[in-house]
Amino acid sequence: MRSDFRGIARPLGIGAIALVVEYLLLGTQQFANALTLGAIYALIALGYTMVYGIVELINFAHGDVFMVGSFLAMWIMTTIFGLTGPVTNLLNLVALLAIVMLATMIGMGFLGMFIERVAYRPLRHAPRLAPLITAIGVSFILQNIIASLFGPSPVNFPQIVPPDKFVILGSRIAYLNLFIVIMAVVLMIVLQLFVGRTRLGRAMRSTAQDREAAELMGVDINQTIAITFFIAAALAGAGGMVQGLYAGSIKFDLGFFVGLKAFTAAVLGGIGNTTGAAIGGFVIAFVEVYATVLGYTQWSEVAVFTVLILVLVFRPSGLLGQQLGERA
Amino acid sequence: MTTISKSGAPSAWARFRSMSRNHRSITILVGWALIAGLLPQIVRIPPMSTFQPESLWIDGFADAGVFILLAMGLNVVVGLAGLLDLGYAAFFAIGSYVYAFGASPFTGVQIPFWPMLIVGAVIAATLGLLLGAPTLRLRGDYLAIVTLGFGEIVPAVFLNASDLTKGTNGIGGIYKPQLFGFNFTLENPVPYYVTMVAILAVTMVLLYRLQDSRLGRAWMAIREDELAAASSGINTITTKLLAFALGASTAGLAGVFATSKLTFVGPGQFGFQVSFTVLAMVVLGGMGNIWGVATGAFVIYTIQAVLLKELNQFFQALHVPILQSIDFVQYQYLLYGIALVGMMLLRPEGLFPSSRRREELHVNSEDVGDIPPPTEALGQ
Amino acid sequence: MKYGKLGALGAVAVLVLSACSGSATTPPAASTGAGASSAPVATPGGSVGAVTPGAWCVGGTVKIGTELPMSGGETANGVPTANGVKLLISQVNAAGGVLGCKLDINVQDDALNGVHDPQTGAKNMQTLVADASVIGVVGPFNSGVAKAEIPISNGAGLLMCSPANTNNGVTQPPEGDTYRTAHPDKISYIRTASPDSIQGPSAADYLYKDLGKTSVYVIDDTETFGVGVGDSFVAEFKKLGGTVVKRDSAPKSTTDYTPLFTAAAALNPQGVYLAGTTPTGMGLALKQGRTVAGLETIPFVGPDGVADLGPGGTQGATITIAGAAAANVYGTVGSAHDLTDNTFVPAYTAMFGGAPGAYSSAAYACAQIIVASLTKAAATATDLASAREGVRANAVNSANTFTTALGSLAFDKYGDNVHPFISFYKTDMTLAGGKGDWTFVKQESFTDPNATP
Repeated sequence: MRSDFRGIARPLGIGAIALVVEYLLLGTQQFANALTLGAIYALIALGYTMVYGIVELINFAHGDVFMVGSFLAMWIMTTIFGLTGPVTNLLNLVALLAIVMLATMIGMGFLGMFIERVAYRPLRHAPRLAPLITAIGVSFILQNIIASLFGPSPVNFPQIVPPDKFVILGSRIAYLNLFIVIMAVVLMIVLQLFVGRTRLGRAMRSTAQDREAAELMGVDINQTIAITFFIAAALAGAGGMVQGLYAGSIKFDLGFFVGLKAFTAAVLGGIGNTTGAAIGGFVIAFVEVYATVLGYTQWSEVAVFTVLILVLVFRPSGLLGQQLGERA
Repeated sequence: MTTISKSGAPSAWARFRSMSRNHRSITILVGWALIAGLLPQIVRIPPMSTFQPESLWIDGFADAGVFILLAMGLNVVVGLAGLLDLGYAAFFAIGSYVYAFGASPFTGVQIPFWPMLIVGAVIAATLGLLLGAPTLRLRGDYLAIVTLGFGEIVPAVFLNASDLTKGTNGIGGIYKPQLFGFNFTLENPVPYYVTMVAILAVTMVLLYRLQDSRLGRAWMAIREDELAAASSGINTITTKLLAFALGASTAGLAGVFATSKLTFVGPGQFGFQVSFTVLAMVVLGGMGNIWGVATGAFVIYTIQAVLLKELNQFFQALHVPILQSIDFVQYQYLLYGIALVGMMLLRPEGLFPSSRRREELHVNSEDVGDIPPPTEALGQ
Repeated sequence: MKYGKLGALGAVAVLVLSACSGSATTPPAASTGAGASSAPVATPGGSVGAVTPGAWCVGGTVKIGTELPMSGGETANGVPTANGVKLLISQVNAAGGVLGCKLDINVQDDALNGVHDPQTGAKNMQTLVADASVIGVVGPFNSGVAKAEIPISNGAGLLMCSPANTNNGVTQPPEGDTYRTAHPDKISYIRTASPDSIQGPSAADYLYKDLGKTSVYVIDDTETFGVGVGDSFVAEFKKLGGTVVKRDSAPKSTTDYTPLFTAAAALNPQGVYLAGTTPTGMGLALKQGRTVAGLETIPFVGPDGVADLGPGGTQGATITIAGAAAANVYGTVGSAHDLTDNTFVPAYTAMFGGAPGAYSSAAYACAQIIVASLTKAAATATDLASAREGVRANAVNSANTFTTALGSLAFDKYGDNVHPFISFYKTDMTLAGGKGDWTFVKQESFTDPNATP
């Protein structure tokens, strides 16, 4: 996991170029849409990439963790705070958003740790197929638990952010879009700082690089992996909450396709590379929105998966990943 | 029931085992003939006969055969060669649509069913090769995702290319098979049943022969250690490609048969759920063991198609409010999920394992001695 | 596709049995139904409870089958629909059964992994055919499932009455013929809903003529129903001289419709047609589409998959999901508004403790048709097989008219309703205590879709 600020110039350069191209092709309004969608994908993609970086497992259930996150946020808002409509007082709104997001992230973090403990850790030394199949099983379990708790039909997500818009470059953009993008960027920066500057972050990086050597150096491998799962799931939980705020209705099978797209983003950015995952998220959102602009919405899934296959075939290390030899 | 006692003097059973090992193809054919004859008898006796009438059982067995075929095909890919294919339903879809194109009023063509079986298998295998050639270089979990993507793309293409496929409406009124002037009908499931048993018997003979061949040993070598296999002179790409193509062709075969029986095909029938159901069959049956996988598929299909519904009807009839409101069919995927997790944690080799696979899957289990057994944590 | 809430607004009560039964589930108001005793077909049971059933009534009970998606994401489609059948059965039984023969139900679920599945549907149809005591089937829900089932029911001569299928190809030639190959002359399938070819164009007429909008954006959900009504809407709207600025197809896995509507808004449509159903994404599309600049106030029109007539607050209803975005939304429903039975909704609510689902009344009407046909067939039926055949023959006989909760129904030689109605509704956000509800606008009658080739 390469996440320190050194060597970040190249990814930032690639990201900036990608953004400019996106803007020119899409125009302000659709660019805002793509940016918002991309922020959500990026939050999920980060979790895939972190987990893969450290235990080399495609956490198939990660998309469903995202889905559970949106249901948890919905439940907190409606049941604990009794929210149904827009909150107009700005101070209250910010406080509520912060509290709900924090609670969701913590809740989902523990769910992520729990899943790792029960379903993945016992299989750490098993053939690679085994944890992947377990992950599929966990995905089924999460979906069905949510479907039986909240019902299989779409569930309303309280729209606590008022639908107000501001004008920029001749386009009217909702404040919610701005909030989502800023929040995602802040979370990503915090993550970078955590991984790059803290003791635990260093433990994560060293574990990702060489688990046995890290263990010999005194890193508690189990704890490090558990924390990685915690952070990954917490980010997915934040993504789930903003997805709910943005779409306004959530469904138990929401996680499958979003998860798949986010995974594509992670692969595109170079799996194991957190900056890459973020950029990949924006690129995938761009592909999707651009397909829509061209009038090929029904082909957008095909486009995304074709991108996935092409990247894996021709540049398995992704846009930003280093060549990893046996890894791909 | 999973292991055979090897102790004691050579018993009649042991003699039978050694004979059956030496004449495996004949054993399989005789075995299938026995099964084909016995199954219709078994369902005539209670409690089977109380669930549904004989004709429905036979109809269900023909449908179960489709999944047995799929599971045996996926077993070549996952169980023998160790490649995780999460988009297997794509090849099933391809076989289905091939038959729909070859024998329906939509295209106006009516190619007989029997050659279409081969055509469907060949086209599916070709597409398998086309997908596999560039992607099989990827390591296992990347391959899983590529195949998952492929599994989503194929039905999406059938859905969106609506000029060619009638899109979401699907193709209906597909012709049923004929044999020497005898017409298969939807009222009489026996011809479908007999056909399916014949397909299964032949497929299984071929698969066992392949498994014991040089190619089969190469698959297992790759599964166990690709690097070592490559350094022993195995061309891993070609070998993996063959596994992929063979698995795809089996799914194509299953698709042709299933479509000729259903007489309808639509893009919604081939979602990822189908791929995962077949995967669950392979995993639960015992990856790598052909008979085990076939049995696993049969058991899961029967549970899903008959027993869960029977449970529903049974509890409905009890008129106990709480039990009445539970729809067991609805919890099928929860049960799959728990079964997949539980199986991987507790018995990764499946219910009917191949001895070789069991050793592989337990190889490192002593390394994780510091971790308590996961039984209580799973909380089933 | 039909909507149960119609019943609450209906003017004519038709169910004679309700009048006679006095059962706990039937409100006293139902006695007005006696006025309909002149209905062309004898209605069931009633006071003849003491009669010993004929030889066709083996074991004192015959069954009505239901073949609907009952689990997973489609629970909301199937379960209330099957409840419509259960309601009629309980009413008939409380009144002594059909000529003394009690009714029972055989419930089949065609959802596999939470999604309707033609394969499972076909299997269920085989099961229902094999259950000799099933004299008729209510279902299926989805046209794709119907296309796999009709060949089976046609071969076996078992009546299917679909409360919800609208795809033209299910019944109409040349495609419809390919499903009836076993007995082309003895059809086994009827449906209560108006086909797509009526519902789509009527929405186009409404938007163009009544609302005076000349350009429209059309989005469908890629499902059979959505694409069907969408295509016929587009054809009619263009024929009228209107402009379809853009036509999109977004699969139900779409989680963000904003880019679609943003692209469409740039073309300045005066209206939007949501070709699909709320559970397959049109609810979310409405909600997100409204947030796009330029589309905040223009009319959105939908077929009955959107106009589910559920008031705001009902779980899964369009108005609940869309919230304030549901203002200025119009919808078509493929049945008559003012011919419906005003006893249905109270009886349903009394029995199941909630408002009926979108298709409950249509399923109830289908069960009424089966019961009425059985009553007629009972005179000549000697065993279960002849009762089953009698039900089929009477139900599909275009000379018969059935008085049902949806008004008078009769079926042409392909099984389509000969006198289809379309009712128009719009949302009024001041109703239901500010949560919003649908109000009736007008209704139109159409000629048999198959009358002229």
